[in-house]
Amino acid sequence: MDNIYDFIKKVKNNEIDIVEHTYKLIEECKEINKEYNYLNAISEDLALNSAREIEIQLKQKAKIKNKKLLGVAISVKDSICVKDVESTAGSKILQGYKPLFDAFVIQRVKEEGGIIIGKTSQDEFGFGGFSVNVGIGFKVPKNPFDNERSCGGSSGGAAGLSQKLSNHIALGESTGGSIVEPASFCGVFGLCPTYGRVSRYGLIDFANSLDKIGSIGKTIEDVALLMNVISGYDKNDSTSLKLKNENYESYLKKPVKGMKIGIIKEAFGTGVEREIEKNVYNGIEELEEEGAKTEEISLELPIKYGIATYYMIATSEASTNLAKFCGMRYGATEKLEGSFNEYFTKVRSNNFGDEAKRRIILGTFARMAGYRDAFYLKAMKVRALMINEYKKAFKKFDALVSPTTSILPPKFSEIEKLTPLQHYMIDVMTVSPNVAGLPHLNVPVGFEKNLPVGMLLMADHLQEGKLIQLGSAVEKGK
Amino acid sequence: MKRFTSEIIIGLEIHTEIDTKTKLFCRCQKAKKEDLPNSKCCPTCLGHPGSKPVLNKKAVEFALKLCLALNCEISPELIFSRKSYFYPDMSKNYQISQYEIPLGKNGKLNLRNGKEIGIIRVHMEEDPASLIHPAGLKESQYVLVDYNRSGNPLVEIVTEPDLASPDEARDFMKQLITVLNYLEIFDINEGIIKADANVSIKESGYTRVEIKNITGFKEIERALVYEVKRQQDELKHGKNIYQETRAWDSEKGTTFSLRKKETEEDYGYIIDTDLTVVEITDKWANQIKKEMPELAQDKVKKFVEKHKIKKEDAEILAAEKELAEMFEKVAKEIDPILAAKWLRRELVRVLNYNKKELHEVEIDEKHMIDLLKLVENKKITDNVAIRQKRKT
Repeated sequence: MDNIYDFIKKVKNNEIDIVEHTYKLIEECKEINKEYNYLNAISEDLALNSAREIEIQLKQKAKIKNKKLLGVAISVKDSICVKDVESTAGSKILQGYKPLFDAFVIQRVKEEGGIIIGKTSQDEFGFGGFSVNVGIGFKVPKNPFDNERSCGGSSGGAAGLSQKLSNHIALGESTGGSIVEPASFCGVFGLCPTYGRVSRYGLIDFANSLDKIGSIGKTIEDVALLMNVISGYDKNDSTSLKLKNENYESYLKKPVKGMKIGIIKEAFGTGVEREIEKNVYNGIEELEEEGAKTEEISLELPIKYGIATYYMIATSEASTNLAKFCGMRYGATEKLEGSFNEYFTKVRSNNFGDEAKRRIILGTFARMAGYRDAFYLKAMKVRALMINEYKKAFKKFDALVSPTTSILPPKFSEIEKLTPLQHYMIDVMTVSPNVAGLPHLNVPVGFEKNLPVGMLLMADHLQEGKLIQLGSAVEKGK
Repeated sequence: MKRFTSEIIIGLEIHTEIDTKTKLFCRCQKAKKEDLPNSKCCPTCLGHPGSKPVLNKKAVEFALKLCLALNCEISPELIFSRKSYFYPDMSKNYQISQYEIPLGKNGKLNLRNGKEIGIIRVHMEEDPASLIHPAGLKESQYVLVDYNRSGNPLVEIVTEPDLASPDEARDFMKQLITVLNYLEIFDINEGIIKADANVSIKESGYTRVEIKNITGFKEIERALVYEVKRQQDELKHGKNIYQETRAWDSEKGTTFSLRKKETEEDYGYIIDTDLTVVEITDKWANQIKKEMPELAQDKVKKFVEKHKIKKEDAEILAAEKELAEMFEKVAKEIDPILAAKWLRRELVRVLNYNKKELHEVEIDEKHMIDLLKLVENKKITDNVAIRQKRKT
């Protein structure tokens, strides 16, 4: 198979008919979608117009050869706004909503010649880890290796499509693990950057202090390339970091000799399937063979309090973010009757899914007077402590490692039996780096029972480069 | 808890627009009265999914000036919170406001009679959209929403319950507007100033009633006079005063009950993490202090000490920024006592007679100087000069 750079080169040299290629790719998406439901919307017109534009520019010999994504198909998690393309965040309450503007990351993809092919399926607003909490009327995406199993979530469609479709990179989004966890279940790379590294402008919010847009791809090159395009300062997002852009691709194939990796003690053993451990240790060995040094480290706080802290903060913020959906300015409407209160209630009752309602109720409760101190404010304090504990670890280590998930992709029939709390516990490995705003990467390390296993690498703030370096070393070892 | 002694207890919560060019969290121009409805808005002030707020620094500087003028302690950090409630004028169903740590606290402002009124807090927030009830507040079958106002910067000023009469409340508002004028942060023609008032009387054991949405500072006294009388009358007729929220109907000149209040409303405040914490450095605060103009109360002191005019005259001159500035210019060339007498008595009288403000007429300091030179040199008598003044 060509790698992404070979593909782009062929586009630039006119060795590929980009319009025909894009047409075929869209057809392939439609075919894949029949079985796997990875796309909520396929933006056929936008994709073909972009391809035609590239064709014209190539003919006119316009200066487009430095464009980083020329002709590359980019899928977009449904929660990221694409101008004039239905963007619902997987919710019925936003059905029919076509944003008036492009998200910052979409502007960047377009500027670099990327071709936007559609909006990928997800848990409604990102509320879940299996993409089964899709909005009312939406279809559940299925695991590319076994269609009776989950592809993970909430960026489930993005990860599944990355496994199935070549010459394509996906834009995903993570609040508590929604990039690395589905990437692990689908056997692809997923990079969630440092909070603030990629602008959230145009991202339909789940939890503002936790949301991060990142990249998912079949190879570490794919992931590094898209990260290069989307990272950087944006004046429209107050939390965007004003820093010089980094060239993440320069970390590809960079030797890892001498790098120090901490193996998180608490993330192995109890509760983790043995086959998963075995594969993750294989991945660690590969890094050791390349000259990385490993050592065990104990990180109690993140594993012990990560889930509780995360769900307090995330639901509190989410419950305010979801307030704006009331059938007044955009999205779903209902028959106009009664007072505004009755109308808003009807719109929200009929158009939010069960998990969205559960999180609105949880979050509203956690921030009510009398409970705020015990829940919301306490969680904010624990978060600060967790960041300190990680920071201490990163004085010693370049990266920390754990399994990405404690289980193999489960069957839908198994997921149905989970209680909401068991469902939330699936995020145990991934929530803590998210709460701390740390960059983290899923690296596929092997297969067990024909299902993929992922290794989670996390690094200090703004050290995405080290993750790409390490990810690239494991890929090379294959 | 304060122990109350006076017959009437009033505390005010004042919302004033501040005169920036653009809105508080987006780059939309602030609308003028003549603008078409919904012509000055964008995805951010419409609360569209994916839009994000970006703070207008100029608005912060204006609010800081006000905090300094009201002798507040300034918070070293500016933090915004989300105040959540559902209402059709709210584009996001939460308002970006401040909660735990207001920009300014523990300030004060003196009334004309020298009485000090405590300021509990001064904080910044965004204005909701405006609702238009085509057939009146209660009768309309539908409501129109105009987002031109949505996201305009507001400053909320909360006083201690130190005001002992509607008259004092009116004077407080007058003093506050004078401060806003001196600071040049309030547009007297376009800007809106609103107040909610907490009113209680001794006879009821100080049961607190809140009057919402009194627009314009002249309305405050009217609303309070009505409400105090209403409470006294209810008690006289053997009825009870309930802790409740009432609205002021300025057309009818009455207040009516909106809801009984058993508990405080719960707005579920959380920090708005779409915005970062803004550090208010000493350097920044000092820069703003340097830019602060002389305020009315400074002017009074100066006029009395330097120009040796009566305190009473000085207060009237200083109450209006333009009049004070004119006085200072005239006093350079004319005996200050004569200038003060003429400006505060004759000029103000002519203006009042014609129902005009100083900036609306074509009299400038040169006219006054020329005229008063003639008076000084006894070229014309006072009466001729007065007649002359009326003609201009």
